[in-house]
Amino acid sequence: MEVLKIKSLSIGYEGKIISSDINVSLNEGDMVALVGPNGAGKSTLFKTLSGNIKPISGKIMFNGHDLSVISPKERAKILSVVLTTRPDDMFLKVFDVVAAGRYPYVGMFGKLSENDERTIEESLDVIGVKELKNRLFNTLSDGERQKVMIAKAIAQNTPIIFLDEPSAFLDYPSKIELFSILKTLAVEKKKTIIFSTHDLELLLRYTDNLWVMAKNKHFVAGKCHDLLESDIIKDYFSLKDIDNEWLKK
Amino acid sequence: MNKRNKIFTIFAIILLGIVLFLMNLFVGSVTIPFGDILDVLLKDNVDNKLTTIILNYRLPQAVTAMLAGAGLAVSGLLMQTLFRNPLADPSMLGISSGASLGVGIVILFTGAISGTAVSSFGWWSTIGVSFAAFVGAVAVLFVILAFNSRTKNMTTLIIIGLMIAYLASSITDILKFFSQKEDIHAFVIWGMGSFSAVGTSKLVILSISVLIGLIASVFLSKNLNVLLLGEMYAENLGMNIKRNSLIIILISGYLTAIVTAYCGPVAFVGLAVPHIARFLFKSSDHRLLIPMTMLIGTDLTLFCNMIARMPGFDGNLPINAVTAFIGAPVVIAVILKGNKVVR
Repeated sequence: MEVLKIKSLSIGYEGKIISSDINVSLNEGDMVALVGPNGAGKSTLFKTLSGNIKPISGKIMFNGHDLSVISPKERAKILSVVLTTRPDDMFLKVFDVVAAGRYPYVGMFGKLSENDERTIEESLDVIGVKELKNRLFNTLSDGERQKVMIAKAIAQNTPIIFLDEPSAFLDYPSKIELFSILKTLAVEKKKTIIFSTHDLELLLRYTDNLWVMAKNKHFVAGKCHDLLESDIIKDYFSLKDIDNEWLKK
Repeated sequence: MNKRNKIFTIFAIILLGIVLFLMNLFVGSVTIPFGDILDVLLKDNVDNKLTTIILNYRLPQAVTAMLAGAGLAVSGLLMQTLFRNPLADPSMLGISSGASLGVGIVILFTGAISGTAVSSFGWWSTIGVSFAAFVGAVAVLFVILAFNSRTKNMTTLIIIGLMIAYLASSITDILKFFSQKEDIHAFVIWGMGSFSAVGTSKLVILSISVLIGLIASVFLSKNLNVLLLGEMYAENLGMNIKRNSLIIILISGYLTAIVTAYCGPVAFVGLAVPHIARFLFKSSDHRLLIPMTMLIGTDLTLFCNMIARMPGFDGNLPINAVTAFIGAPVVIAVILKGNKVVR
């Protein structure tokens, strides 16, 4: 089932187009990696898709509904994000962070129903951080914080999850664990997952789909294998002096 | 903090408030036996002089202190969470400076034009001062809200607020330069803050106004909790960032404006009390923090008012001198103790 369709989308800020003519669609359970050098517009694309900034032109459709006519509250039930910024409040508990994912569902005073509580517990469980529930968020390691933010996204119960550079700041084992978790979410929970990353060699083991962006170049979507066969990766990353034979293996 | 400790702490804060409230009726330049105070509160037909002192002076002053404490503390909490800045307080956006400017214009400017000191007009001048302070504060509040609608960036807004504060206080200084000596004196006294300027008649207006702001703030707890994750997360979760910050600034600024209008720019309470509440309960849940900052703010101002009114000071000790003198050590102690537990 097609959950996301992007039609001739141009993104950027007032008067400055960063990338244009983006056409792509994703199905339920797809996991796609967004790659490109720094400054290529990956974060801008994320912000546009998540409704933080308006597209310059073009259309974004979720489940056949145009993003521009979906209310923020409805959008919050379709799409969740995991960002590079982290909450830094001193007394914020892990449970509170994940509970924030229920914001679109709770009433005026934010009282959690039994169902909300259960969803929060389950979300922590899926990511394997149940034992952190009562810890202060600020005292966790980078890897643990990342997992808690993903648990928040799961508690938000959206068909689509965006993750902006989720593997940055993580050590190698944590990166592998993170990508496995994302893969599990896509395969078992049928979530559509889009994440940006610079860990090219690692992502190839977990996903087939690649979106490639670069400054002043066209947005390209395709299968990892095809894109690597062509010279696009090399070209987009300006790897002029580096042989990309190792990527093809 | 477990549930039992939490309930115990809340109970202790409330009990402290009741004791301090009674102490406020008890302490003063005229010594009244405690039994007589209870008689005045609970029975009719007691000695007229005592009734006057307690019901017309001490009681309104204690209630004013409570309202100011609760209002300023909540206002500070809202600012600290909105800007995610532990140093934010109700004066941050220049709202108290706006109040000062309003008062400055009334006290100083009219004096300079007419050649007579406005402060000599007596009762009329207190009404005029409250009104001017409120108008000045609200004027700045609207300027801030206008800027808020133009920017999503909270840092920009803080800087604009600070600049407006400087602008307002520099205009106030210019006015001072051209003013009568008596008027400057009156202005300085107002600037030191006081809970005694509110008589029984004005107390009703103050109570209703502050209570409206306090009740409104309770409705913000859900959004404030989500704001702790950062604006980007909050926006993704469906929050309308601009409208939300408009409402928070409006309520916080309104509370500051009301309290400043009646009590002068009372410093420190708005900055300190949210920290005391957070560290005491080791929580950032606003459903708990908002009522607790109200209660702790009440306790702090009642205590400060009692100290300021100790026999010997004759009620003349400026409240601003006391709030920081008493409050700063408390905040340091609470934070050091809290850190030990957190680490």
